[in-house]
Amino acid sequence: MGDSMKHDFPIFSRLINGRPLVYLDNAATTQKPSCVIDAMSHYYSSSNANVHRAVHTLAGEATEGYERCRTLLKQMFNSNYAVITSGTTEAINLVSHAWGSHNLKAGDVVVLTEMEHHSDIVPWQMLAEKTAIELRYVPVENGELDMDAFEVALVGAKLVCMVHTSNVLGIRNPVEEVISKSHSAGARVLLDAAQAVPHESINFHELGADFMAFSAHKMCGPTGIGALLVSDEAFSEMEPFMGGGDMIETVTLEGSTYQTNEHRFEAGTPRIAEGFGWAAALEWLSSVDLESHHERLLKIANRVADQLREKGMTVYSSLRPGDAAVVSFTHPTIHPEDFARLLDAQGIAVRTGHHCAQPLMQKLGISGTIRASFYLYNDDQDADIFLSGIDRVLEAMA
Amino acid sequence: MSWPKAVQDIIDEFQDIEDQFERLEVLMDFSEEVDELPVSEWNENNLVKGCQSIAHVVVVVNDGIVHMKSAADAKMVQGLQGILSIAVNGSTIQQVLDLTPDFAEEAGILNSLTPSRSNGFRTMFDMIQREVREAI
Repeated sequence: MGDSMKHDFPIFSRLINGRPLVYLDNAATTQKPSCVIDAMSHYYSSSNANVHRAVHTLAGEATEGYERCRTLLKQMFNSNYAVITSGTTEAINLVSHAWGSHNLKAGDVVVLTEMEHHSDIVPWQMLAEKTAIELRYVPVENGELDMDAFEVALVGAKLVCMVHTSNVLGIRNPVEEVISKSHSAGARVLLDAAQAVPHESINFHELGADFMAFSAHKMCGPTGIGALLVSDEAFSEMEPFMGGGDMIETVTLEGSTYQTNEHRFEAGTPRIAEGFGWAAALEWLSSVDLESHHERLLKIANRVADQLREKGMTVYSSLRPGDAAVVSFTHPTIHPEDFARLLDAQGIAVRTGHHCAQPLMQKLGISGTIRASFYLYNDDQDADIFLSGIDRVLEAMA
Repeated sequence: MSWPKAVQDIIDEFQDIEDQFERLEVLMDFSEEVDELPVSEWNENNLVKGCQSIAHVVVVVNDGIVHMKSAADAKMVQGLQGILSIAVNGSTIQQVLDLTPDFAEEAGILNSLTPSRSNGFRTMFDMIQREVREAI
């Protein structure tokens, strides 16, 4: 299944250190199908113009192509608002500035978790420095959120920011329960869904979160573009953050008025080529049965995890139904970087390090892991090559 | 450019290797060449900054002769330190100052490493030359 899909991805025709590429760093970024590359190239070669301004033909095509990305996002995720950002990080920063700065005051509580990516910790710490809000972190026990501690932390909270699916462990948090309890407690909910949207179809409206941030490049789209979905109510509470062209209605020397739709949060010329590319990726993804692929990949990841344990590795991912197909592991003596470098010499790409989640690493008592993350085009053969690659490393380091 | 014989031997050894895996194995073999700095002597002052793994380097100059002690938690980083040790240990201050870090590029060692690791190598190299200069 994965092998036939690889034909859509030109990168798989190249060799890495003389070997066919086995790409298992999908949680960092996914590869791009030809249709995405072609769409971006098409924009530059045939429709290049700025958007939302001029009346000429190219400007019309550019605007239409770029806005099609937003339309597809709204349709696919069932959201009335999709603010286009540079990615998950900017989306979260946008919430902290456009919503946080106007709706949170000294002493207000924001609940985070120990499992967050740095991009969902640092913006809130920066806001806390400016406005003296209180940050409460829900602890992680045995790789899972302590939901009893969450309920304690929730008391008096105005906002809950939580990773939907962990980039380190692949664990899917009980977001439905979190949203329901947070709303009952009067708190808004921001989900970092960067690792979730590539693996599961999400109906934003039904899920009921107030904000959901994610990036295109983790779902076969281009780098440098992402989105913030916003509920109607939360949208009405947001104020413009960045000022400039495209986000205004009128500008006089005395003052300005702002657009009322998503454009009010998108100052300046947007990422037009990336919008074309992401639209192509979204269409390509909508032709894929995400659920059945997810089941297939989770099975592969579980097989890999079992064999890694047999080979003496510690596996930190639990890989239950719903979790992402991410296998994070360490070897008792071999440094993750040595491990990854020796795998790369065999054409196998994995990630090592703290995965931008240092607090979680501290909690697990380690400095980093080796992470193999699987995506749609990966198959059993990739897993077999990876496992043989591991054997070769173990032999070399024995 | 001509290199000291010990350095030229390393360059030749690496240039003869075609397989990347083998090249990294040889790099790790060089980790045995360090005069190991015991963990008890690791501190903030001798920590190599900009290196993704934990690496420490201490340089001592006795009677004008340079000697480095080092250690790292990743074997490949300690391998780089081993190569630096061969290039540096027993040399005069001037010989160490005359050395340029591009011998590692010529050997094809750095091409096979990530930029962060290459920067780590440069940082270690700069650290050694800085300490040698301070000893003058």
